[in-house]
Amino acid sequence: MSSLSARLLISVSLLLVFFFGVTIVVLDSAFREAGEQAQEDILDGMLMMLIAEAEPNSRGELEMPLDLREPRFGNLGSGLYGALFDDRDTPVWTSQSSLGLNVPYGPSPDPGANLFSRLRLEDGTPLMSLSLAVQWELNDGELKPYTFNVAQSLDSFNAQVASFRRQLFTWFAAVAVIMLTSISFVMRGLLKPLRQVESEISEVEEGKRQVLSDDYPTELTSVARNMNILIGSERARSERYRNTLDNLAHSLKTPLAAIRAVLSEQPANDMSERVETQIERMNDIVRYQLRKPAMIHSETVGVVSVPVSDEVTRLVEGLSKVYREKSPEFELDVTEGMRFHGETGDFLEVAGNLLDNACKWCRRRVKLTIHPLRQDGGGMRLTVEDDGPGIPEQAADALLQRGTRLDESAPGHGIGLAVVKDIAASYGGDVTIAESDLGGAAITVTIAAP
Amino acid sequence: MRLLVIEDDTTLRESLCRQLVDAGFGIEQAADGKEGLYFALEYPVDLAIVDLGLPEMSGLDVIRELRQKGKTYPILILTARDRWQDKVDGLSAGADDYVVKPFHFEEVSARVNALLRRSGGWAAPTLRAGPVALDTSRQELKVNDAEIELTSYEYRIIEHLMMRAGAVISKSELTDRLYDQDFERDSNVIEVFIGRLRKKMDPDNTMQPIETLRGRGYRFALERNQDQ
Repeated sequence: MSSLSARLLISVSLLLVFFFGVTIVVLDSAFREAGEQAQEDILDGMLMMLIAEAEPNSRGELEMPLDLREPRFGNLGSGLYGALFDDRDTPVWTSQSSLGLNVPYGPSPDPGANLFSRLRLEDGTPLMSLSLAVQWELNDGELKPYTFNVAQSLDSFNAQVASFRRQLFTWFAAVAVIMLTSISFVMRGLLKPLRQVESEISEVEEGKRQVLSDDYPTELTSVARNMNILIGSERARSERYRNTLDNLAHSLKTPLAAIRAVLSEQPANDMSERVETQIERMNDIVRYQLRKPAMIHSETVGVVSVPVSDEVTRLVEGLSKVYREKSPEFELDVTEGMRFHGETGDFLEVAGNLLDNACKWCRRRVKLTIHPLRQDGGGMRLTVEDDGPGIPEQAADALLQRGTRLDESAPGHGIGLAVVKDIAASYGGDVTIAESDLGGAAITVTIAAP
Repeated sequence: MRLLVIEDDTTLRESLCRQLVDAGFGIEQAADGKEGLYFALEYPVDLAIVDLGLPEMSGLDVIRELRQKGKTYPILILTARDRWQDKVDGLSAGADDYVVKPFHFEEVSARVNALLRRSGGWAAPTLRAGPVALDTSRQELKVNDAEIELTSYEYRIIEHLMMRAGAVISKSELTDRLYDQDFERDSNVIEVFIGRLRKKMDPDNTMQPIETLRGRGYRFALERNQDQ
């Protein structure tokens, strides 16, 4: 359950099921009890009516008139049945409605008491019956026990209960659906700032924005503010780190240069050669290892994006000065408005090293192509080609592998390409060497993100 | 040719300067950005070698200031930071080339020679004008393919004249380029050197490579070869 709205909807659903379930059970049993009470009252009334209509006849026995006030006793299959039993449980009278039916009545209660029973007809129709045992005082003062019975079919009552339940369920389901829908709408509104935070953070990651905006609801303001502080301190930290390493490189290289300068003033001998080798080694280590801060920096959050064509222009102008004698022809094919999502230094390092190599090796032509990697404009594919002698396949592999491990005996050249490879890798990219249509090498850097 | 070296590391600066002097250049040196800028603006300089990481005023600011003040001579950057960002920043600020520390002296002198040649309008390391060929990298002068022995002062003078072939160069400019500051200046010495050069290069007085413009100075008079 990773989504907040899913969590909320599921919790609310469970609560609704619980509360509505309890409510339905309570309402249902209340309705049923009230209904049963009403049924009992009706049966009681019917029984009182039968007792009122019973008359002792001349033979000293109770007798029911032919026409009763309640017409349903006289209608066949009306669902209301009556019977009068004497003391031997022999029916003295049964209502016309029970003609042909073997209507069961409950056991005889004690005299003076009444007893409700739940029974069934032979065809399964549920019944509720009420029996009342009385001692009837006949004309001669003799007391004779009789049992009055009434029974009523519960079919229509059960139908009523069922219909009530159906309505209950329908309404509660409708209410639940309406509640959940409106909650999910409310949630969408409530979660909008969170989604904004999410999209702004990914924009920061992609270098499309520097910090999070400050127009958040009160609850999120401090989150956004803390995020911004974090981004800022992260930036400052890597900046400091880079400067430290930069200064370290600077302060190591100047003494190296001094040693080399003093050395070259002496006449060359075995000793000076050995010192020179060590200077070269130290220089390689400093050059390679202390260039890493650029790469570390690119992995941190909050970098901005660089307009590619501006930097390319600066590079080409600079290289044109450096290679004025050779004056290579630069062909530039850069997608308009193209941006590199990362450090300016990293982009310059990649493009600079590759263009510098191409200028060194070319006869006349150097071509730089920069396009987005994907249709949606994301990623970057940068290719530098020249019309020089090219790079043999085996040498290409060796050149690219040097990036992963700078061997102590590795000569100085080739570090440029190794650095390019490391930077590309830090942006999740790759470097490939192929043959160019111009005749020389074509080195392509692909950077997938963002 | 007179070079200005701005570098704060004393050992490196002094060693570099000694080697440049040995290579035949006149030298000014400064240990920080402010002093360097002052020398660069006030002294006759043909090329400046500027370290980027300088105290008082950064190398980049020195270069910007120089270019803004209209100084057009070539500038070579010495940098310990060999990231492209720094190289591009330096080149955009107005430098013409860079050398990354720790450099070999040969690298610096090659760049310096190339820059000086380029600023004089020469493309190849060997300056050719008619039968005269001056190889700036080997410091050799040939006339009609015959090598001519020169002292280092003579070489400096013919190099300076030929670098700016066609332009009038005053005696005082030549004196500036010839001596370091501490030396005693005597413009008669220039006349002596010019006379010796003429004799060595043109014993028959048919070619007349160096022209004297009375009261104004000297001019290398031979036409540059077409392919230069």
